[in-house]
Amino acid sequence: MSKQPSLRIVLAKVGLDGHDRGVKVVARGLRDAGFHVIYPGLWQAPEAVIRTVADEDADWLGISLLSGTHMTLVPRLIEQLREAGLGHVGVLVGGIIPEADIPKLTELGVARVFGPGTPMEDIVQFLRDSGSRTHA
Amino acid sequence: MLDELFERLEKQDRLALARLLTLVAREEQLDVIRSRAGKRPEKTRVVAITGNAGVGKSTLVGKLAEYLRSQGQSVAILACDPQSPLTGGALLGDRVRMPSRPDDPGIYIRSVAAASGHQAVAEHVDVMIRVLGRYGFDVVLLETVGAGQGDTAVSELADVVVLLVQPESGDELQWEKAGLLEVADVVVVHKADLAGADRTEGQVKELLSLPGCRKIAVLRVSSTKGEGFEALWQAVLESPRHAAAADEDARELLRRAQEILAERFHRQGDRVGNVIDRWKRQELDEAQAADELLQLLAR
Repeated sequence: MSKQPSLRIVLAKVGLDGHDRGVKVVARGLRDAGFHVIYPGLWQAPEAVIRTVADEDADWLGISLLSGTHMTLVPRLIEQLREAGLGHVGVLVGGIIPEADIPKLTELGVARVFGPGTPMEDIVQFLRDSGSRTHA
Repeated sequence: MLDELFERLEKQDRLALARLLTLVAREEQLDVIRSRAGKRPEKTRVVAITGNAGVGKSTLVGKLAEYLRSQGQSVAILACDPQSPLTGGALLGDRVRMPSRPDDPGIYIRSVAAASGHQAVAEHVDVMIRVLGRYGFDVVLLETVGAGQGDTAVSELADVVVLLVQPESGDELQWEKAGLLEVADVVVVHKADLAGADRTEGQVKELLSLPGCRKIAVLRVSSTKGEGFEALWQAVLESPRHAAAADEDARELLRRAQEILAERFHRQGDRVGNVIDRWKRQELDEAQAADELLQLLAR
């Protein structure tokens, strides 16, 4: 009698980046599409994000970055996820990411980078197609 | 898989804890987890925090958790937020107002989606509490969705129910209508730094002094100023733990019996229909039909 499970996704703003309009739009859009969205707020330390992903047993981590620090913070987050035994959690990046950095990020293990103007439908479809690597 | 998860849970593995709670929320192997987790240990105190939307439940829960940590108590928070009845989606934002202490293993925060219509907390919170108790938390803070009128389920789940009200939130009649004062063990006038808190405190006290009311502590707390938490916890400790929580096992037994009954009924599908048909054709009177149905179930 188990239910149709909703994917759990943590959306995070990391470091000194106060621009949260985008992440809130995505949070709302994913919620409306049936996902369980956990949003812990602005100015999160990477360690705090990892803790949230662990305690919430998230399937996905979406990182929103508009501060240009993605090449520092994303590798650190991915490394810490692995160290915490959370290598199965899918990582998405959104925000202002220069074209040239996208291949580097995907090489690090980011599943997908969504830039400005991405239709909500694209993110929803990507998550639906990818599903959860956590729960078969 | 469950064996391994419970083994890890015994060793205080947070990832195992998190996964078990996910399984409970998804109703996977619910009955097995319920019985494997066992009874909630005596030492685990469950405190529900309820009150209308915007009254400051998340903020107070966060501050209370910090106070309890300073007293050396380990704390788990189950923060319930509503789930869309249309899509099943949920925006779980209670963490925004809660402490972020990634280096402190003594605090665990879990956001859970509560289906609409299922009272003020998520489904199977009782099982989640058992799992958290098994892990060894001293205190479980259960934050409700924002209680509406007549939301009483929390009093069956928690040892103590703390109801939050805030200044300028309606006249005396509102309190009574809400029916919530009937389930509250402690009433907190939150945002006590705002004007009018003393008047609200007076109104609540007056209402509770009416004949027939239980003795309920009323106190003021300001999360902004960090005032009143020691008194709040003292009131929680002094409040008698609900007999209802102790009766949980008995309720569980009854629930299980009902399930078995339903299963048997279901298994006898055709035969049940047969009896009903004969009753419809008046070959059986009501007493005979009921008797035959009971005999089917006894098989």
